[in-house]
Amino acid sequence: MIEFKHVNKWFGKLHVLNDVNLNIAEGEVLVICGPSGSGKSTLIRCINRLEPIQRGEIIVDGVPVHDKKTNLTKLRADIGFVFQQFHLYPHMTVLQNVMLAPVNVKKMSAAAAEEIAREKLIQVGLTDKAGAYPIQLSGGQQQRVAIARGLAMSPKIMLFDEPTSALDPEMIGEVLDVMVNLVSEGMTMCVVTHEMGFARKVADRVLFMDFGKIIETGRPTEFFDNPQTLRAADFISKILTH
Amino acid sequence: MLDDFNFRIIFEYLPLFLTGLRNTFFISIVSIMLALMTGTIACACRISSIKLLKYPAIAYIEIIRSTPLLVQIYFLYFGLPTLGLRVPEIQTGIIALMLNSGAYIAEIIRAGITSVDDGQIEAGVSSGLNYFQRMRFIILPQALGATVPPLLGQAIVLVKDSALLSLISVMELTRCGQTMTSERFMPTEAFLTVAFFYMCIYFCLKSLADWSQKKLIFREAY
Repeated sequence: MIEFKHVNKWFGKLHVLNDVNLNIAEGEVLVICGPSGSGKSTLIRCINRLEPIQRGEIIVDGVPVHDKKTNLTKLRADIGFVFQQFHLYPHMTVLQNVMLAPVNVKKMSAAAAEEIAREKLIQVGLTDKAGAYPIQLSGGQQQRVAIARGLAMSPKIMLFDEPTSALDPEMIGEVLDVMVNLVSEGMTMCVVTHEMGFARKVADRVLFMDFGKIIETGRPTEFFDNPQTLRAADFISKILTH
Repeated sequence: MLDDFNFRIIFEYLPLFLTGLRNTFFISIVSIMLALMTGTIACACRISSIKLLKYPAIAYIEIIRSTPLLVQIYFLYFGLPTLGLRVPEIQTGIIALMLNSGAYIAEIIRAGITSVDDGQIEAGVSSGLNYFQRMRFIILPQALGATVPPLLGQAIVLVKDSALLSLISVMELTRCGQTMTSERFMPTEAFLTVAFFYMCIYFCLKSLADWSQKKLIFREAY
């Protein structure tokens, strides 16, 4: 479904992605972790071309992402993206936030888009908040709206960039629950997160990055209980000791 | 001091002041409308990635902002006729105010646009919205709300700047004060009256600004 072939990317002199090779199968749930600045966010931002790459190739569902001829609108419509800071549109209601892309990108009628939007709001457990503005919602609720906004485009892939890092601890659970539900529906997902519980429960594979390189990949139980590299072992001990 | 303050003469000159008020009002309204158009176009060019639009816009904005309005007025007043364009004073004044405020308005709108969080733009990009859709649905509704108070501030500045047109003998409020002073030699009465009328216009615009704060800016929802 998603294929990285010798992907290299630099921010100035900083080598943020160093010869990344990766295959993500349809329906696979991949958790990406690693220390801050290791390139994990950049990695998933390249998948829908929020970031350009300098060398290599990324192929999503048979389409070369960074090719000049690629229809970006079509590509992005098929990939949902959830940000750490939610990035809801503050001047629109929850319902309008979710409907915006279906109406304008997929050219759906307002009625059809609203039906889908309401369906997705049920899915994330926010039926009663359709008319609210983002500022009236808690962080956890905002992030669930952001997930509904992504889902409303009926994407083939969902990308999550630290979706729970900006949340108060008691709200992390509600967002993870929504994501776990998505997994059970067979969605292809790449999740940058340090939520070990989530990774252990639903991830098919954990990928550990440092200095722009994939250091280690493995099944979650293997990775967390028996890391193969010192660097990964050190990282795991650090996030578990507090 | 107020012993010899002459109210009678103010009433005697009231028709002249009302003409001045009307002219100041007319010049300001027309100039601010034209400046809004100029500013919007200049801003659109300024943020464009097309160099042929971007650099002339930068040049225009920087030249206007780095020179005094009075110099710009004199340049147009004395300069245009030498270029073979004979324009009446009042039109010259309107052109000067339009060009001057246009540059500031371009920057005000640009500030509004850049104030919209990059993250929202990325959210729009990643859901497949194109440039114009992002402008139309995400950026402009928020940017315009944020620019209303500074735009009204600029309108107030423009009204007061129109006093400079007295120097190219446009019969606006300040010029009326000067006329009365030279005819009757009563500058205190003349310019207090002038100041009073400017204050009236100012408070009208200010209440408009306060009202728009409540109405026009997108409701932050409570």
